Amino acid sequence: MSVPEIIFDEVSKFYGEVLGVNRVSLRIPPGITSLVGPNGSGKTTLMNLMTGLVHPDRGRITVRGLSPRDPEQMMRVTGYATQYDAAPRGTTGFDFVSTGLLVYGYKPAEARERAWTALERVSLTDAAQRKVAAYSKGMRQRVRLAQALAHDPEVLVLDEPLNGLDPLVRAETIALFREYAAQGRHVILSSHVLQEVDVISDQVILIANGMILAEGEIRSVRDEIQEHPSQFLIRCRDASSVASMLFSQDHITQIKLADDRLGLLVMTRNREEFSKALTQIALGGHSIESVIAADENVDALYEYLIGGGR
Amino acid sequence: MNLEFRLRQVWTIARLELRRVFFSKRSFWVYLLALFPTVIFVGHAIDVKIQERRSAGDRAVSAALIDSITKGDTADEITARLGPPARDFEWKSGRRGERGRRHMVYSDGKRRADLDFEANILASKHVHTFVDFDESRTIFAGVFDYFYLRLAIFFGCLGIFMNLFRGEMLDKTLHFWFLAPARREVLLAGKYLAGLVAAVIIFGGGAMLAFAAMLWPHDPAEIKAYLQGPGLGHAISYAGAAALGCLGYGSVFLASGLLLRNPIIPAVVLLLWEGINGFLPEILQKLSVIYYVQALCPVPPPTDPNMPALLKLLISPPTPPSVWLAVLGLLGVTALVLWAASRAVKRLEINYGTD
Repeated sequence: MSVPEIIFDEVSKFYGEVLGVNRVSLRIPPGITSLVGPNGSGKTTLMNLMTGLVHPDRGRITVRGLSPRDPEQMMRVTGYATQYDAAPRGTTGFDFVSTGLLVYGYKPAEARERAWTALERVSLTDAAQRKVAAYSKGMRQRVRLAQALAHDPEVLVLDEPLNGLDPLVRAETIALFREYAAQGRHVILSSHVLQEVDVISDQVILIANGMILAEGEIRSVRDEIQEHPSQFLIRCRDASSVASMLFSQDHITQIKLADDRLGLLVMTRNREEFSKALTQIALGGHSIESVIAADENVDALYEYLIGGGR
Repeated sequence: MNLEFRLRQVWTIARLELRRVFFSKRSFWVYLLALFPTVIFVGHAIDVKIQERRSAGDRAVSAALIDSITKGDTADEITARLGPPARDFEWKSGRRGERGRRHMVYSDGKRRADLDFEANILASKHVHTFVDFDESRTIFAGVFDYFYLRLAIFFGCLGIFMNLFRGEMLDKTLHFWFLAPARREVLLAGKYLAGLVAAVIIFGGGAMLAFAAMLWPHDPAEIKAYLQGPGLGHAISYAGAAALGCLGYGSVFLASGLLLRNPIIPAVVLLLWEGINGFLPEILQKLSVIYYVQALCPVPPPTDPNMPALLKLLISPPTPPSVWLAVLGLLGVTALVLWAASRAVKRLEINYGTD
């Protein structure tokens, strides 16, 4: 049986003359996938396209084989915690979650039970009977998350879900995402907190100006981008001579000596050649204490791919 | 998903929306519109009751005595027969006050007789009831046609139905519904049903309250006879006309809210369209709400006999359809407009202006 995927096939979306996303093709497998990009890059547009809130001008989208143009089928297996902060006027947190469930067709008693369970999962039962309008930013974030997961969806789409959460709730929420992903479900999230994306994501999609720059596991994404230099931190006793030997290599673009002269930051365009050169240096009798890849995280990719393009 | 499930969804959405429609701050002025005629009729009824009570005091005379007054009687003869009047005004003109005029008022508790004397001789006698049943019914017919149908229901539906989608767009809450596992047509039907139920209760109820307030000052026996005769049918017709007005205008404004950003434009266009209805060819007349709804009104609205023919044509359809044709025609127009709205709602996107 084939793995259920979220597929974007040459999808373009324009808001009048403003580009939303352009010719996006993606295949997103189950697991935690993070959309990473600066404001206005098209992350929310991708999520809105995926959930049918906006429609593509070109191309085709399927979510686990279902079309976003068929909300009756698709929203049964999808939960979307949007970035939109507002809830219908006068709604309490409990109403916000339970009324949605009534439209799903749950009987009132079951809708109430599921709503309580979902609110429990996001630790919001104490404030359940208060109006959403009076909630703090973090509480609104949690109630949207509760609403998105109340019907136990196969695909959870979350726009900046960790914004405004305190550290404890954040840890619980990440654990929840992992639990969902471990069950073979899709968890698609966008975030600006890159360290978190780095830690929690199975794969990332880097997007800027409505175009996909890279996608896949963080390491493989990094490997895909050969033209961008990799950074390594080297700790060694004779940093100056190691630096001079490395600098003779064509693939080395930049070397910075540490203030204590016991370390250096090296930037290379070819990881394999760098690895060979370093081996030769070590075999030549130079003591290399440690080599750490300094950029194998989303921050570095982000800086290279997006920051560099700015 | 079968039809029964979808109908349940429609009702669930309608129930959830009803609370918002009834208690929205935006709906407040709709209640004022719907209840304004009732306030006027109640005020009039209280005034009539006060007049009746005042005239039924110790100066009331019998109806037969009032009927016995004839032109040519002198003021002295009348006061001798009927006793002192309830009101008595006297004017004198000429240098020595030789040309006297006098105005006397008698009442039997239900009727008022205004007597005008010239040189102490009765010149004119005008007897009228404090409140005339036929006149009240005609006035109500006018209020229903000119105020409810052409103003209150029109603008009330504009406020209620435009807000169903456009209001949620402004509040940035429409995505809540679009993320529900329901077809957009089901959502449209649920919201329309909520608006319709609210509008019918508010305006149908308002019209019925005004109808009751119109009846209130009349003689109970007269009211009973009216209700046992055509009265109940009239009340049902007015309620039905109000409901059908809400049905038609509601569908038009719901569709306008989906197709256009600015509600003023469709409101002005529709107001003009409905206003010039009488001038349009018959086929185009049938594409308006007022054409059908007016045909359901049981009592024709009053018209000024001196009114220009052009204006007369504007306020009444030249060839009103039969009641059944009116109902079916309005249902047809509504179905057509809702079909267009369902096409629009399927294309509608959430774009609150970010990212």
